[in-house]
Amino acid sequence: MIVCVAVVGHQNNPLYIQSFTEADDALKLHHIVHCSLDVVDERVNNPKKSGPMLNETFLGLLYPIENYKVYGYLTNTKVKFILVSTDLDVKDADVRNFFRRFHAAYVDAVSNPFHVPGKKITSRTFAERVSTIVRSFGLSSAG
Amino acid sequence: MEEYPEELRTPPVALASIVGCPELHHLISTHLLSEQPPINTLALPDLSKIHLFKKKRDPDSIATSPVAGIFKRDWLLKHRTKIPSVLASLFPSHHVFGDPAHWLQVCSDLDSIKTVIRGRNIKLAVVVVVQSNADEITEDRMLALRKRAEVDAKYVVVLNPNDTSELKQSLTKLASTFSELAGAYYREEGRRVKQRIEKKNLSSVELIVRYCFKVAVYAEFRSDWAEALKFYEEAYHTLREIVGVTTRLPAVQRLVEIKSISEQFNFKISTLLLHSGKVTEAVTWFRQHKNAYKRLVGAPEAIFIHWEWMSRQFLVFGELLETSSKITHGFSPIILGTSSKPLSEWEYYPAYYYQLAAHYLSEKRSALELSISMSETSKEIDNSADSVVPSAYVGQFARLLEEGDNVDMLPLTDEEYVRYAVSEGKRFRDSLEIIALLKKAYESYSSMKIHRMSSFCGFQMGKEYFAEGDISNAKQIFDSIASLYRKEGWVTLLWDVLGYLRECSGKNRTTKDFVEYSLEMAALPISSDTGVRRDTGPAGPANLIQREIVQKEVFELVSEASGLSTNEHLSNLKITGDELLQLEVDLVSPLRLVMLASVAFHEQTIKPGVSTSVTVSLLSHLPLTVEIDQLEIQFNQSNCNFFVTNAQKLQSVEGSNGIQQHRREIAPSLSLESNKWLRLTYDIQSDQSGKLDCLSVIAKIGSHFTICCRAESPASLDSLPLWTLEDCSQTVPIKDPILVLSGQKSTQVEEPDPQVDLHLGAPGPALVGEVFLVPVTLVSKGHDVYSGELKINLVDVKGGVLFSPRDSEPHTMDSHHVQLLGISGPEGEDDQLYSDKIKKIQQSFGLISVPFLKNGDSWSCKLEIKWYRPKPIMLYVSLGYTPFSNELHAQTVHVHKNLQIEGHTAIVLNHYYLMPFRRDPLLLSKNKQASESDQSESLPLNQKNVLIVSAKNCTEVPLRLKCISIEVEDDAERTCSIQHGNEEISNPALLVPGEEFKKVFSVSSDMSSSKLRLGTVCLRWRRDLGVEEKSTSTSTLSWVVTKQNLPDMNLVLPPLIVSLECPPYAILGDPFTYFIRISNQTQLLQEVKYSLADAQSFVLSGYHNDTVYVLPKSEHILSYKLVPLASGMQQLPKFSMTSVRYSAAYQPSNSSNSVFVFPSKPHFKIAASTNSRVESIANE
Repeated sequence: MIVCVAVVGHQNNPLYIQSFTEADDALKLHHIVHCSLDVVDERVNNPKKSGPMLNETFLGLLYPIENYKVYGYLTNTKVKFILVSTDLDVKDADVRNFFRRFHAAYVDAVSNPFHVPGKKITSRTFAERVSTIVRSFGLSSAG
Repeated sequence: MEEYPEELRTPPVALASIVGCPELHHLISTHLLSEQPPINTLALPDLSKIHLFKKKRDPDSIATSPVAGIFKRDWLLKHRTKIPSVLASLFPSHHVFGDPAHWLQVCSDLDSIKTVIRGRNIKLAVVVVVQSNADEITEDRMLALRKRAEVDAKYVVVLNPNDTSELKQSLTKLASTFSELAGAYYREEGRRVKQRIEKKNLSSVELIVRYCFKVAVYAEFRSDWAEALKFYEEAYHTLREIVGVTTRLPAVQRLVEIKSISEQFNFKISTLLLHSGKVTEAVTWFRQHKNAYKRLVGAPEAIFIHWEWMSRQFLVFGELLETSSKITHGFSPIILGTSSKPLSEWEYYPAYYYQLAAHYLSEKRSALELSISMSETSKEIDNSADSVVPSAYVGQFARLLEEGDNVDMLPLTDEEYVRYAVSEGKRFRDSLEIIALLKKAYESYSSMKIHRMSSFCGFQMGKEYFAEGDISNAKQIFDSIASLYRKEGWVTLLWDVLGYLRECSGKNRTTKDFVEYSLEMAALPISSDTGVRRDTGPAGPANLIQREIVQKEVFELVSEASGLSTNEHLSNLKITGDELLQLEVDLVSPLRLVMLASVAFHEQTIKPGVSTSVTVSLLSHLPLTVEIDQLEIQFNQSNCNFFVTNAQKLQSVEGSNGIQQHRREIAPSLSLESNKWLRLTYDIQSDQSGKLDCLSVIAKIGSHFTICCRAESPASLDSLPLWTLEDCSQTVPIKDPILVLSGQKSTQVEEPDPQVDLHLGAPGPALVGEVFLVPVTLVSKGHDVYSGELKINLVDVKGGVLFSPRDSEPHTMDSHHVQLLGISGPEGEDDQLYSDKIKKIQQSFGLISVPFLKNGDSWSCKLEIKWYRPKPIMLYVSLGYTPFSNELHAQTVHVHKNLQIEGHTAIVLNHYYLMPFRRDPLLLSKNKQASESDQSESLPLNQKNVLIVSAKNCTEVPLRLKCISIEVEDDAERTCSIQHGNEEISNPALLVPGEEFKKVFSVSSDMSSSKLRLGTVCLRWRRDLGVEEKSTSTSTLSWVVTKQNLPDMNLVLPPLIVSLECPPYAILGDPFTYFIRISNQTQLLQEVKYSLADAQSFVLSGYHNDTVYVLPKSEHILSYKLVPLASGMQQLPKFSMTSVRYSAAYQPSNSSNSVFVFPSKPHFKIAASTNSRVESIANE
């Protein structure tokens, strides 16, 4: 299950962060998302280490923390998407698929002429779309 | 790692035992220990102790008895310290080879040793100690010894401790024998145990684990790491299988046993992998280990034991990784596990494991707290836990029952064990351990520049410190991580950290910090609910309501100075009556969110005394409206400061402020709404010129609280760090769209208009060489002039400086082309009076002080400027003065004037040389020069020459000339004599513009030198004063000296000189003789070819062409008789000549070759000639 998704801007500032958990540990998830930016930074700054992942937006599993898995995605405009999941066995394809849909939703949201680039995304439509994507996560492969 | 026993942590070392000859034991054991691999030695002084190695039980009985545990705690220690692999018996040689009684003793000793070691399969070696080389060694006795001991010949070593050369060799042999035997022993033991595994008829699975463990240990003893690893892994996997199978112990203890054994296995495997450099395998292994046991939490009441165990796993692996990474220097990060389960680089950082160890330890703590609270409620207090001790098997515990001397171990029930574990757990302060772990992780991440991760560890660490009550440490850590969250705009995280910081300062009773943190929290951009509800720190949930609550609290605190705070939260904090709490908000302060002041002058420059508008805009992001009592706007000119008072709070402010010398404005309301600019515009005027800069805006809220904001210009207003990310409309501090972009917080106050006239008069272009006077006149028209200062600057018109080091010429004494010589005071006044007031005169810069001038007065002075080169210059004169004598109003006013002055050359000097009339030397060099065009001319040596110097007036004004003379530098030697020398002209000659003045000098060169060095033409002149010329006495006037160097002339000895001699005039039809005198100056005979051309006007007699020989140092005279045929100026017949020796042709010049022919004999009147030798000839 996805517990948290986040959009992080250029200065590593959160543009959108939403947790989908009943357990009320949102703060911890914020911490996890924030920490995962270190990994993104390292992947971006040392592309040698990531090897084949060069030129790919999907960054893969960022780091394993107890009970969570954190995945990353870096758009061409250097906006980062972070996904925190509680499933310990997640298929890469599912995550890729999720990020693709999430990216599309993000692009639509920032294409809004009233959205100022670099500001937080407050669009309600975006939030709804994201929660739909989150809910349908993993269903495609199961079905 | 330290909690593991020593024998587990270090790789096993083979053990050998030596018996007999105790004096040699030390020598042997030190040598064995220094071997590679080392061998530990167990030295027995004599045979009496040998029974220690005796096997206590029959090995078959083990198989039949029920298995009590997996393996014994002391088994490994026993093999490392008590049971040797080799036993070496040392016999002195005289015992072996000497007396038969001794030999019998040796035999019986060997027998007893053999019986003891046979049970354990310990290998035997025999050492014969030879005391001296003289000792005889008999072969048959040696053979008997070998037979008796049942050892191979190579296991009998002869040792001679007295022979140093052989001792080393025999010790080495001994060591290799020992290591060979030890290897054999461990191999056999391992094989024996392995066989038992392979039989597969073992009664329980535990035995398989035990045997695998033993095989692995034996393999380690002989450094067979691969086999050790293999069997450790097998033991580990077998152990994992029996988790659900075995029922030997109660459930909790069963799990504890298995886990502690698997922990040891894991430790061994990880160590082996890491030591062989297989970091990736080790990390993968550990992940597998962690995953295998993560779910095995066990019974809920004993869950803390599991967490503690987990924490220890991470800690130990982290430590192992850290020590191994020091050895192996990093790893290859490219191979990150298999593709299906990739390892992240994080799993290679020890910090990651420390962090997780801390995480599990905190899990353990909370579980333990739960267990403690449960056990306390049940009120079961008994001391049974006291007597619980670890039992003989690893991971097992038993109760120690002492009945007199009889000690017995009783098994425990699970309840008892849990109680024991809880009581053990109580003894430790987990939070200290957690802090230590987090600190390790924090520092490790920080050193790797992984700041966010380290901040997270820091946050957890701070929380632990906070919970422990270590406020100062907590505050320090929170402060350091808050800056990162501030920078990156993680508002929710920042909110939480600030909440802790606020609480820390509350506990520390630092009111200022408390207020600052509270205000920052209240101003954070949290508008909607972020979803963080539970698990929040002291900050409370991050939402708008909480922000408002925080703001209210803090404003209550600062307004209620009496300390009547009702909130228990704030009861610690007080602001006493006199204390003033002032917060400073500068450009980088996080409190800019709380209050931001932007100040803009409406004009960029203002006149003194003229008022302009200044707009002060304030912005606050506090959620609730702030009522400001009074604003103080401070400028760098403190008399411009003014106050703005809230009309509604007028009473309270006036009472407290007392007498104010500054301006006070009253605003109807000073309420600062959230995220809305409060704009106030006031007039301002300054009397002082210079920069007027707004420094700060101080808002007073309540009687004890002020916020001092550094003023910022709207043009360079930095956006607020956190709020820019918010999706809210941005407002501007000033409505005027131009001021928003260009408004500045400072303005330039101009100086007052000068009311003094400054005149520069110049009579025209300056002449090079003269001292040119430029009169400067100051006329005061409305201002008094106090402490006036005149600055004079000479600047090249083209922009360059008046200085060129490249072409410095001798006549410019310094390298300046135009120089300011001095400043003479006003006419009619004593120069001496002002000379001390002249402050500074440099070559192109001057500074002079001006005396006090009353309104309407004038003052003048003259600048003396000298040109060395014709060059136009720009003269800048600026006057600075203060119109008031008061020192306080030291407002300087400046007047600037400039004037371009041309510099012209006054007189151009020219010169040329002439030979005497009708006398031409043959100058060989001259002929050559015609072809080579050398610039330096030549003059004939030892002849009288004429030098004509002409001086031409190039200016537009008439000049007076005093004299032209030729002077010689002191050091130069004159090589000629000059007549018509240096007399002055008694009445200075007037030289009108364009006129030329000539002076003739006759120069005769010396015989000796080849160069004619004439010296310098020196011309003294001055401007003609016109009408005043007569009246002024000539002695007072200064003469300008213009000098020009005459180039040196080469002197050449002419070989031939031709003189034409004819009468001064001729009369038509009257014959006369024309002599041509060829004089040979050389010592050689000269052959000369000459020719005389016919002339129209003359009839001549004589040879037209001929060749003559002129003797050395003599003359040859050609004479012709000529009869003039025409009157007037007539050309004589043209003579030309060729010197054969020099092959030089020669022709006299035309000018010397003509004669005037009168029609008839003239009659002359003799006129009186003047005495003056100077002839002034006016050309045109």
